[in-house]
Amino acid sequence: MSTPPLSAPITAPTTATNAAPAEPALRLASPTRPAAQALATRAALTNTPPAAWMLGAVAWGLGWGVLLLADTRLALANQALLLVLAGALAALWLPAPAALVAALLAVAAFNWTCVPPRGTFAVDSPQNALLLAAMAGVLAVLVAVVARLRAQARAAQQHQQQAEQLRQLGDVLRQAGDPLTHAGSVQQALATLMGSPATLLLRRDGQGLPTPDATLLLGEANADELAGLWHALRQCQAMGPGCGHHTELPCWYLPLRGGGAASPGVALLRLPLAGRDNPPLRDHAQALCDQLGQALQRQFSALAEAQAQAQAHTQAVRNALLAAISHDYRTPLATILGAASSLADQAERLDPAQRRRLADSIVQEVTQLSRMTDNTLQLARLDAPGVVLRLDWESAEEIIGTVLHRARRRAPERKLRARLEPGLPLLRCDALLLNQLLDNLVDNALKHTADDVPVELLVRREGQQLVLAVRDRGPGVPAAWRERIFDAFQRGDAPPDAPLRPGSGVGLAVCRAIARAHGGELRLRPRSHGGSSFECSLPLADTAPPPAAPEAQA
Amino acid sequence: MLVEDDRALRQTLGDALRVEGFEVHTAASLAEAQALAHHRQPEIVLLDLGLPDGDGASLLASLRAPRAGHASPPVLVISAREADAAKIALLDAGADDYLVKPFSIGELLARMRVALRHRGTRLAPAVTRYTQGDLVVDLAAHQVLRAGAPVHLTPTEFKLLARLVRSAGQVVTHRALLADVWGAEHTEQTHYLRLYMGQLRAKLEADPAEPQRLLTEPGVGYRLIDADLQA
Repeated sequence: MSTPPLSAPITAPTTATNAAPAEPALRLASPTRPAAQALATRAALTNTPPAAWMLGAVAWGLGWGVLLLADTRLALANQALLLVLAGALAALWLPAPAALVAALLAVAAFNWTCVPPRGTFAVDSPQNALLLAAMAGVLAVLVAVVARLRAQARAAQQHQQQAEQLRQLGDVLRQAGDPLTHAGSVQQALATLMGSPATLLLRRDGQGLPTPDATLLLGEANADELAGLWHALRQCQAMGPGCGHHTELPCWYLPLRGGGAASPGVALLRLPLAGRDNPPLRDHAQALCDQLGQALQRQFSALAEAQAQAQAHTQAVRNALLAAISHDYRTPLATILGAASSLADQAERLDPAQRRRLADSIVQEVTQLSRMTDNTLQLARLDAPGVVLRLDWESAEEIIGTVLHRARRRAPERKLRARLEPGLPLLRCDALLLNQLLDNLVDNALKHTADDVPVELLVRREGQQLVLAVRDRGPGVPAAWRERIFDAFQRGDAPPDAPLRPGSGVGLAVCRAIARAHGGELRLRPRSHGGSSFECSLPLADTAPPPAAPEAQA
Repeated sequence: MLVEDDRALRQTLGDALRVEGFEVHTAASLAEAQALAHHRQPEIVLLDLGLPDGDGASLLASLRAPRAGHASPPVLVISAREADAAKIALLDAGADDYLVKPFSIGELLARMRVALRHRGTRLAPAVTRYTQGDLVVDLAAHQVLRAGAPVHLTPTEFKLLARLVRSAGQVVTHRALLADVWGAEHTEQTHYLRLYMGQLRAKLEADPAEPQRLLTEPGVGYRLIDADLQA
């Protein structure tokens, strides 16, 4: 997102017109005060544009021109009024000190040229002396009033500009994804405001105490200033002239206040007049800082909330996992322990057929446990970030062959059929994972199908995908469960007394995880005449198929 | 010799093997196994991966080191994980076969029998004839018969089949097959194998989609099922 330009630079309010009337006793000792006032006066003079000087000079020139042209035809009092008018006009443009000096000079010149006896500074009558004194007094008052009005107008305009700048900054920061990307604009705005470089120390996260690793320093700072920045950040307090803490410092350390207990950052601002407070300037700087502070705090809150949610989710998954393990694992373990302890304690009293049955049940339950362990481990592995698949070119025919071979060994009496489209391309996949996926699906299908009903494996090509389907004619899955059965350890809203489907906790979840790890998907489609079809679609590699195998050298 | 660090499994396997008439020596660590192999000259070694004191490969190397008067015993690798790179590395380095935990005693005995028989035939004149059901492969005569009728194989198909026949009953890794049939520079081209195994199955299997002879060991290699015993 591009940064809209923040509003035009706002110059510091001139201290000459805004001088604080009463200074707290704290700062009376400031040795720089007279020098500072002289500096402010000079600033007021140099900040006045040439056009304003011209207009002031023209006003005086016109006043003197009319006066001299109509010299003898006008009464002395009228002449004086003409000059007062010229002085008032000039005060509209000239800076106050210049206007005052010009007015006093004009009174002196008027005395020299027009007040009898002419050509001297002497005044012949008390009436004329009163006229000159009144003239000087009125001019001084006029200059003061006009200067004050001008200062007020300027302050109002400045306030409006500052408000607009804050509004724009607030908008930018609210829309920004990461407020840190806009910290530079805030720094720039502060530097322009202060007329000297600003330094920001910002936290990257809102957790715990600030550490150097988790902060960002924008701008330059010497060792003392750095120490000041860290102190202000840790204490979350403003320091410097007028801030109530460490007022002896030459600059301001303003915390970025965001509403939280800790401040998300702190700004170092170098004052144009070292060590001298300027409340309106400080208020505006603080407002700018707070805009950034609030944006940062908002981001910290959002991050903390997301983390809390992720943690809650992890916790929920872990609880479900523990609940499922405690059930899914305890049941076969109970059978095994029962059978094994019976063999150990009662072996001589059991007939060979009974011993055989016990041993068989141990083998069967251990096989089930082993499968469950494989699935749980695989699910955990695939859930972890940065899973590496052992990809190779594999033939679907071969994978199906292995799956059938294993299924027949486990359930020799069951009917299994496989149908493969001829001429299927090789598949880029992890053969072990794909075998596990199909093993689980076939097991699942056999579990939910009557013994004499066949389970089918189908492989076909659909555009740029290979579809491996395992279809059964079992009872099917209710519509409400069709997505949920793929969640790990979900058993849906089955009534608590409903018989749990053995091993349904993790098998399908790992199947879907395997399909997705290959960039594919596993879906369940109900079949039109009953039963389910679990369809795994895998993308065929868009990389060029490997070159045909050459005949080996004889 | 049984090398396994888990006491319960070591005892169970030991008992089961003694019942079958084997004389069993057990070792719980690599160091123990090295010493035992030196003193006892085992006829077959069951080697568990993940021993407390090191890599099974070093034991394999010392077993395979030529020693006057002693044949190098067959080695069966026992691994806890199906996708175990160490297991495949050992197979490529000359181990005879592998088993993934958990396995049944029946499976273990069958693998041991195959391994022992091969060790015998390796010293005797090399196997030249393989018979399994209606399939007869005569390596010397370059002839393959299925249900009495000759089957035409391309030279590569025959070479691949012959390699599997020489290790019938045992797993042969992708790497070993590629190196022996196509040459050492083609050991990564597993897709050659997919293609030629498909062709071989089409010619030698009743249902190529469900092979009974040329079995796939996913992620590891291929296994041609053991020849009929009377052959």
